[in-house]
Amino acid sequence: MTATTTAEEQQPAPGGSDKPAKARRREMTETTLGRVFVSPAILLMALVALFPVIYAFVISLQAYTGRLNEGFAGVDNYVTALTNERFWTSLQFTLIFTVASVAAEFIIGLGFALLMNQAFRGRGLTRAAILVPWVIPTVIAAQMWFFMFNVTPGFINSLFGLGDFNWLGQSGWAAFTIIFADVWKTAPFVALLLLAGLQTIPGDVYEGARVDGAKMFQRFWYITMPLLKPAILVALLFRTVEALRVYDLPQVMTGGAFDTESLSILVQQYVVRTPDPGLGSALSTITFALILGIGLIFVNLLGKDLVIGEGESK
Amino acid sequence: MSTPTPTAAHQRSEGKANKSRKKKGDQGVVEQKSAAQVWGKSAMLGIILLWCLFPFFWLIMTSLKKGNNALNSPNIFEGPFGLQNYEAVFAQDFHLNLRNSLAIAGITTILCIVVGSFAAYALARLPLKRKILLLGGVLAVSLFPPVALVPPLYELWRTLGLLNTWEGLYIPYTSFTLPLTIFILTTFFASIPKDLEEAARVDGASPFKAFYKIILPLAAPGVFAAAIIIFVSAWNEFLLASTFAPRNPEIAQTVPVAIAAFTGAVQFQRPVGTITAACVVVTIPMIIVALLFQKRIVSGLTAGSVKG
Amino acid sequence: MNGLTNRALWAAGGALVLVAVAACTPGGGGDEGGEGGGELVWAIGGSEAQPGGVHQKVAEKWSEENPDTPIRIEILPDEADQQREQQALELQAEGSNFDVLGMDVIWTGEYSTNGWVESLEDVREDIESVSLSGAFESATWGGELWAAPFNTNAGFLYYRTDLVDEPPTTWDELCEMAIEIGEQENIGGYVGQGARYEGFVVNWLELYWSGGGELYNEDQTEVAFDTDIATQATEFLANAEQDGCLTPGFNTAMEDEARNVFQSGDAVFMRNWPSFYSVVKDGGTPVAENFDVAPLPTFTGEGTISASGGFNLAVSAFSDNIEGAKEFVVWASTNEEVQTMLATDASLPPTMESVYEDLSDDPVMALLGEVLPDAKPRPPSPQWNEISVEMQRALFPAYNGEGDPGEASQAVLDFLETTVE
Repeated sequence: MTATTTAEEQQPAPGGSDKPAKARRREMTETTLGRVFVSPAILLMALVALFPVIYAFVISLQAYTGRLNEGFAGVDNYVTALTNERFWTSLQFTLIFTVASVAAEFIIGLGFALLMNQAFRGRGLTRAAILVPWVIPTVIAAQMWFFMFNVTPGFINSLFGLGDFNWLGQSGWAAFTIIFADVWKTAPFVALLLLAGLQTIPGDVYEGARVDGAKMFQRFWYITMPLLKPAILVALLFRTVEALRVYDLPQVMTGGAFDTESLSILVQQYVVRTPDPGLGSALSTITFALILGIGLIFVNLLGKDLVIGEGESK
Repeated sequence: MSTPTPTAAHQRSEGKANKSRKKKGDQGVVEQKSAAQVWGKSAMLGIILLWCLFPFFWLIMTSLKKGNNALNSPNIFEGPFGLQNYEAVFAQDFHLNLRNSLAIAGITTILCIVVGSFAAYALARLPLKRKILLLGGVLAVSLFPPVALVPPLYELWRTLGLLNTWEGLYIPYTSFTLPLTIFILTTFFASIPKDLEEAARVDGASPFKAFYKIILPLAAPGVFAAAIIIFVSAWNEFLLASTFAPRNPEIAQTVPVAIAAFTGAVQFQRPVGTITAACVVVTIPMIIVALLFQKRIVSGLTAGSVKG
Repeated sequence: MNGLTNRALWAAGGALVLVAVAACTPGGGGDEGGEGGGELVWAIGGSEAQPGGVHQKVAEKWSEENPDTPIRIEILPDEADQQREQQALELQAEGSNFDVLGMDVIWTGEYSTNGWVESLEDVREDIESVSLSGAFESATWGGELWAAPFNTNAGFLYYRTDLVDEPPTTWDELCEMAIEIGEQENIGGYVGQGARYEGFVVNWLELYWSGGGELYNEDQTEVAFDTDIATQATEFLANAEQDGCLTPGFNTAMEDEARNVFQSGDAVFMRNWPSFYSVVKDGGTPVAENFDVAPLPTFTGEGTISASGGFNLAVSAFSDNIEGAKEFVVWASTNEEVQTMLATDASLPPTMESVYEDLSDDPVMALLGEVLPDAKPRPPSPQWNEISVEMQRALFPAYNGEGDPGEASQAVLDFLETTVE
């Protein structure tokens, strides 16, 4: 805190006669101030996050037998990773999982947010209820859904009279249950972000629209949605990058059986279970690059709104 | 696109008294509701409550089952019931785990919000160059497969003596949650009309003053949404916690790690009873924390009137 | 000048972070524990390591008798994979926090190849002379002894005495009975560990071995994998799943899922470890009074075979007190009182052969005494985890109708070939 007070004092006192020069000086100090504001965050993130990424990249260029280093390997590990059929099947599952779960979470989360944003009797209870799934630790939620979906004792099956339907023990449905558990668990996250977004939309935007006699859906589509867009993008961005790294749910619920092996499970195998640091690091780096690529698409969309958008608002 | 219309901005600057009531975007208050609408709404509420709460209800019922019969029958009402699992949970120093988790998640939240809001303000408002690149870099921080982070960080933590300490956990949690924090806050700061700040600046306020007097209060929903998210993700984190502070509740072992350390009565038995009981125990404070924060998100609404 | 302020401001920003971070030092910290001095640290997990568990009692007993080198348990997580990971992180960093390692029987090769554990060749005779041969074998790799056997394990056939007069001796017989009785009683037939994990490999190997198959030759230098027997074993499971011999959900069941099915009366037969005997007995369900245990069947009807499990105790190569740790593991492995305690306190099968004679009143220990001499360890090769993963990937889909059993056998053979030079 003290540091920023100093920063404030660096500001030149307002009120000079030379207008352009003053504006320029203000510009300069604002840039400086911007740097000061950003630097603690950058420092903290770089301290912890940069090291593992560089470390993994260096390691990914080395050859290993078990944990024993056998020298420089060039891109061999990358070739091994990309020619492994397991990489492609796990990539496929990861992408299906991501698209399906993020889409469902968005729709349900938006519904929750619109509901939470309203005044109605019992909304306190509803708001608490909506958050329950999300505060349960993922590892436990995964176990819980495993117990509930598993044929024995068959909680879900007996609830819906499905007999011995083997949700987790056949292709397709195994992936479905994992997606289902993820949607249940994480839709509230989306809801929270969108609720906060809805709260910052000024009420008179609606009043104006109401006078125009706009229908509810139109109002939602043409007024709410555009104003909510940044919040939606942030929610989708972070849900997507999280989903692309999914580990706990498939690991606990199926152990990766029936084509539910995610990229992170594959990485885990080569980092921990059957250690090959070179290959494991190469897989991590590939996964990282892939997710970053997808993430940057979102950042570009967002960036136009946030950063470049400031020009047009003047 | 994200900046509200000038009218909206103008209205906001009118005064705080008005703001809380006018801000809300709820449709239900004014409109007349038909019986069908009321029923439809109640039905929808019912479905939502069932969807969210039934699995939790299952957890509670399972945690109350005595002995080793928890998963013998699909009937959740089939006893015998008792509180043994809860007694077992608290016999294992679980209150210490709760303390650790609360402290670590709390410190993470404060650090993230303080450090993150400065960065977000700069990104949203101050003339920094190459902002998109900066945002991309910030995002990149949180994208590495978590399991691949463990070996290098473990070595580093070992060298720095950070294993089995609170710092060893809240520092990485802060680093890895900052991207999300910065993104959320930047969005919210950017959506606040610039005129307000400009007005304050004309009156002689520094950018810093403008930030905490005007931007921060108006972005409160975003700040508190971010705070809940940070708190919950720090609370639930398992992988790093289980590697950096795997044991010793009296020092830094967190709740999820403690739960994973539960064992059945014999080899290969799953400790279903104690796991579910512990889960119920930790969910209750979490909901209270989340509700407290959430109140701030919708404070504008709470101040308004509630009908039907 | 501007550059100077700039730099000062950057520094101030950095200072802010440091202040924020340093401001909240918790009470704990310090106490890495375990190094130097006389105290030994024993890293082991599971319910027996919890306060009141038998491992704690063993540690207390040692500490009383050896006040100069008392031993303390660091409790590892419940799951074997996570125990291994925590040990690996410490050992990879050459840390001296652990002196004695509770080591799953399949980790011997990996730990010794990595140079993480001390050779116990100098005390080999003390241990070899009293231990069960299967358990002893699991503690060796490359002809050298790397750990002291501590507790072993073997699979049992649990069966319902109210539905079955004589337990089956062949797998085919088991399935015939399972289908017939299952249909009569409207319950499932046979349950075991069929989910895709290490336990499935154990179950599959018991089928494969009982048909006369082997993975490697005696000294593990050549592959001895028989694809015909392997295909027979996989096809047996595939057919059993098709014709209703296996309970629904067999392919998602681990140990405790299987126990729940059997305990709630939904299966005629169960393959499981001995530790569940007491659980089912005390379960309070009708099955409690109506079940017994028998040796696992074979394909030929002769003898029995089981994959052995359990934990050995190794001495960390980075320990500050290697001699003390060695004394402890030898003592734990060869002290009759300790070994008996494992059986009586926790139903953990001891590795000391002579102990079983005095325990013959206990039905579990009596059967173990009968079964264990024929129990086979999985090869404790440094690559066992890789082998296991490949076997799961090939064999699991094949028995679930998503792959051809013959091709799966070939895939396993091909992989095994890559593990020997």
